[in-house]
Amino acid sequence: MTALTEPLAATATSSGRARRVALNPKILAGLAILALFALLTVAQPLLEATVWDGKANIYDPRFGFDTTIAHPSAPSATHWLGTSSLGRDVFSMLTYATRPTFLVALTAGSSIAALSLIFGSIAAYRRGWVDGFLSHLSDAMVLLPAMLAVFILGISRPNAEFGALHVGFTFGVIYGFGPAVATVRAAAMTVVAKPFMDAARVAGGGGGWIVTRHILPHLYAHAAVQAMIGATGAVIADAFLSFRSAVGEDVGFGMMVYDGIIWSSLMAGIAPVPWWIMVAGAGGITLLAAAFYLVGVGLREALDPRTRGVLR
Amino acid sequence: MIQTADRARPPRLPWFVAFLAKRLVWALVTLVIFLTAVFFFMQVWVPYSWATQFMVGGSSAFEAAREAAGLDRPLVEQYADFVLGLARGDLGTSFRGFPVADAMTDALPITLTVFIAGSVIGWVVGELLGRLGSWNRGRFSGAAISVAGVLSATIFPPFLVFLLVRWLRQPLLDAREAMGLPTDSLNLWRGALIGEAGAPTQGDVRWLVALGLSAALVVGLVVRSYGRRHQLALVEGLAIPAMLLGVGLGIWLSGLGAHAIDLLYRVEVAATTGRGTPALALFGIALISFGQVMLLMRAGMEAEGSEDYVLTGRAKGLTERAVRDRHVARNVMAPVLAGSFLTFPTVLAGMIIVEYELEMQGLSSVLFDAIEFQDIPVIMGVMVVLGLIGIGFRLVTDVTIASLDPRQRRGSA
Repeated sequence: MTALTEPLAATATSSGRARRVALNPKILAGLAILALFALLTVAQPLLEATVWDGKANIYDPRFGFDTTIAHPSAPSATHWLGTSSLGRDVFSMLTYATRPTFLVALTAGSSIAALSLIFGSIAAYRRGWVDGFLSHLSDAMVLLPAMLAVFILGISRPNAEFGALHVGFTFGVIYGFGPAVATVRAAAMTVVAKPFMDAARVAGGGGGWIVTRHILPHLYAHAAVQAMIGATGAVIADAFLSFRSAVGEDVGFGMMVYDGIIWSSLMAGIAPVPWWIMVAGAGGITLLAAAFYLVGVGLREALDPRTRGVLR
Repeated sequence: MIQTADRARPPRLPWFVAFLAKRLVWALVTLVIFLTAVFFFMQVWVPYSWATQFMVGGSSAFEAAREAAGLDRPLVEQYADFVLGLARGDLGTSFRGFPVADAMTDALPITLTVFIAGSVIGWVVGELLGRLGSWNRGRFSGAAISVAGVLSATIFPPFLVFLLVRWLRQPLLDAREAMGLPTDSLNLWRGALIGEAGAPTQGDVRWLVALGLSAALVVGLVVRSYGRRHQLALVEGLAIPAMLLGVGLGIWLSGLGAHAIDLLYRVEVAATTGRGTPALALFGIALISFGQVMLLMRAGMEAEGSEDYVLTGRAKGLTERAVRDRHVARNVMAPVLAGSFLTFPTVLAGMIIVEYELEMQGLSSVLFDAIEFQDIPVIMGVMVVLGLIGIGFRLVTDVTIASLDPRQRRGSA
């Protein structure tokens, strides 16, 4: 997580920007939530090695089933967040589903950052027809919602065939060529117009040197904003895939919400609504998505030099 | 003193003629690139096709199905067919045998009504909350508005729908009982469908509502901004409600009466589970869409708040409200509009999920059914329609930005 703020700190023209990033309440809140989920990811193997040791038949997130009670059961001492309608332990599912969700966000975020940096800087540096083509392409890709593309490719296919990496990559490529390239290109345009670009050319710098040494460093932060906001969408898209088409042993946040909704509609008026499983699933999605979103929005605020005066 | 004809300039076209022409050319080029991207995404990236379900039947059945659907032809030829068909207004034929355009005209009025009305409500609420929130930062209300905005942007849409159905559906139905609306409202269109001469069909009525509502909202927004510019508080506040009332009155006077209001509660004669009502969908879409606008507005307001003219305004004794609404908010409008176009795809996907989960029989049902059936022409049709809506939205925002800010009128992207 610190890696996200590093490029920003490295390129800060003054310590002011680094301070604004470090003090932004949105970024801090987002990083705190991310740290919590990182802990949850680590908790799964730790718990399996200690508290749940030898009880895989009860606590396994995919096949566990507690034969001593009726399911779904409300939170209790033995099942901290209750159990699902299939008898799986909700806390175990929650920790288990966090890992692939991080993977989705990481894949989407890194492909968005890479694409927007490469094509944004090339468009701004080369201008002319290259820029014309790339900006028209990104205008067109903005019209193609990345989430829908993920649904078209992923609905009714099991995780083994269309898993976290596929979701993240599909989302990342389409979002990356669309809104991300559009934004980063716009930022690169203002960099290219600055006088130090002429100085770099006069000094005899080649294209590769100018792009990597003089343009890219100013774009890392903008690409990070896009990567974070894109990761938000990728997390929600992945959750909806899991909601619509989790089959067999697939475990995901969306599928937990589905489990609760389907149970409460089947048992309407007979059994109480199993809020614990829905809140665990939907809360996991929203908190994780909000964490990426907050970091992204906070970075954008910290980047805007005009917010300096009102920072509190 | 020689003020005569030779100094009079030739009459110039209004700025928006040249501006619109440039933007239309831009839209056309973008559309062609978009269509190409959609086509190759569907043909190359999507691993299935109608024919894959015949694979188990042996290669001869598979080949026959491919040939019947025209999938064995070279890709370039299929692409040319697709684009030329679109130029003629032909969206192609579904693998299930019906023209794609028919499915679209059936589904579009519902989607347009719900999406346009819902996102306009979301926009107005988001703009207002963003404006208030930025001036109340540090206070509890400012923080609460922030949390609500982030929740709106990141909530899991199916869960939101579950909550809406659980808590709001029954009160809405009770309200309808209390208003004494007819419970068999759709008898009217049902009679029309059987073939009562001269009666409007169900589709006609839906289009009427969708187009009437969109037109009223656009006119309402224009009148509202006029009122704001000329400081007519009454005009500003009443513009949108008055327009909506006008549409309602018009439909009432056209003899459809209470049945038209009841459209808000019911969509389909044969609706299966009856989970959703358009009123719920409007509410859900407004909730999904207000957050992004609110956060953009708020960030813009906060950035603008440190400008010198704010200090000047305060120094000359303007009220905080006047500084906020008449000075800062207006300057923020253009970047917020431009930014909202980039968040448009994400918000749109959320709206589609909400509409689908409420079983509205709109574009989302067509799309998700088509995905289940591996019906590529219909999926492509939906993408094309969404792309056209997006381009239309972009043109409207561009023209709005240009009319707000004369610097933007040269028409470059």
